Amino acid sequence: MQLRRKHDLFLRASAPTNAALRRTNPRDLLRRCITGAAAVIAITTARPARAEDSAEVSTSVFEEKRQGGLGGLTVIHPQADVGIDLGRYVTLDAGYAADAVTGATATVYQADATSGATKFSDLRQEGNAAIGFQGKRSRIVFSGEFGTERDYLSRQIGAAASIDLPGRNTTVALAYSHSFDQVCDKDNGMLTPLDRIALTGADVCAKSNGVAGKDTPGTTVWRDLAIDTAQVTLTQNLSPTTNMQLVAYGQVLDGFQSNPYRRVRIGPVAPQEHIPNARARWSATARINRFFPKLHGAVHLGGRFYDDTWRVFGGDVELAYSQYIGDSMLLYFHARAYQQSAASFFKDAFFYETESTAGEYFTGDRELSPVRNAMIGAKLTLITAGGDKRVWHLFEKLQLNLKGDVLILDQLAGNNTEPNPMGISKQFIYGGGLDAVILSLGLLGNY
Amino acid sequence: MRALLLLMVSGMLAGSLAGCGRTAVRASEKEFLADKVMIFDNDPQETSSDDHIRSNREGASGGHGAGGGGCGCN
Repeated sequence: MQLRRKHDLFLRASAPTNAALRRTNPRDLLRRCITGAAAVIAITTARPARAEDSAEVSTSVFEEKRQGGLGGLTVIHPQADVGIDLGRYVTLDAGYAADAVTGATATVYQADATSGATKFSDLRQEGNAAIGFQGKRSRIVFSGEFGTERDYLSRQIGAAASIDLPGRNTTVALAYSHSFDQVCDKDNGMLTPLDRIALTGADVCAKSNGVAGKDTPGTTVWRDLAIDTAQVTLTQNLSPTTNMQLVAYGQVLDGFQSNPYRRVRIGPVAPQEHIPNARARWSATARINRFFPKLHGAVHLGGRFYDDTWRVFGGDVELAYSQYIGDSMLLYFHARAYQQSAASFFKDAFFYETESTAGEYFTGDRELSPVRNAMIGAKLTLITAGGDKRVWHLFEKLQLNLKGDVLILDQLAGNNTEPNPMGISKQFIYGGGLDAVILSLGLLGNY
Repeated sequence: MRALLLLMVSGMLAGSLAGCGRTAVRASEKEFLADKVMIFDNDPQETSSDDHIRSNREGASGGHGAGGGGCGCN
């Protein structure tokens, strides 16, 4: 559950088009770096900037290692997107994505969670559509998205706008979205958190016309989760071979955020996980690209800082390199390191078992534990440009992407390890060390 | 770790903002900036897929960035 994509809108708003490069006039710091925000608010579509029609399909296979003798976790993630122009000023995008998930999951978060692991499967589907209006230097996009799975419904609306400031060396983008989500939960009536029973795969999560949750009194209820997300992005050309991007991101979540299936061992009982309903999070990101003409390649460097009201803070650094080989082949190598601290109410399982809850809360979510990971990978892109003759009689340009990534995980202790004779090696069923492999195959056609 | 991360991101922010005061890049100088590899998130589908994976594995997800850039044209 809760397999959601959150950033399509932000990407869509500022995705590049093929507007002609224009002569640049020098502007002062104030004009280029501060007045952008006001300009975006007053965004207009003065003259057309035509984009290419495109179609893209891809499939990713995610294979994660799991302990407990039940095999790993496999996610197959197909995606399809189409973008077309409706006249000179209007663009239309539509997309579909799915997650087919099978694998092992832990029944109870406890010092040895691996022994009680079970198998499960789920299918999540999502459709989205967006209409955009573009001018000579600006663009605004309105979008809607709907996602459904057995126990989760997601309905999102959003808007995003971007503008090139005079001189065309600075682009400012603003985006906002609101999600009206619903989560299927066990109907626990007025029971206190320590008495609540977790949802099971056998419980019916009924839907009304497939688009809204429908309570089944005595068995299941649908709980609301509202998510407001805002992002502002500044992209700046620094020199003929260097550009950078700054991103400020904020999100407020209000509603049911527990995993309804997850149980946590608290002394002799194992009630349903219980975490706060409200969370506010923010992050700041900086990224830089540098092109090396003699090498026909580019270096990409990025860093991000994150903080939230649950006291999770963390960040990542990413280094990548792109290298052209001739005109039709592009190699991309990247490495990323990530680390986060634990939420204020997270405890290693042993301490929930032997002490008690953290205040009124208790969780067995790895995403709320102290953890660090690293990813390394490579991507090969083969580009076929049709020239005067279209590729497959249809596309002006066809691009094939092959990508492979390896994830390495290092689970850290949330509490002092000395008084914990059980250790933390089995409290999650996720394996340490080489944790997951991701393989992707994609085809992008412009016509 | 928090201080180190803040210092790192602050340094990058400061360094990047310093660039706003530079003389603007002329259109005739934008050949390399317009290259595909200089455009942030030049494959939105791949970026959303990567972000999807991160948001399901990491508590500190979100705000990885947005597309655009390159030649600085919309």
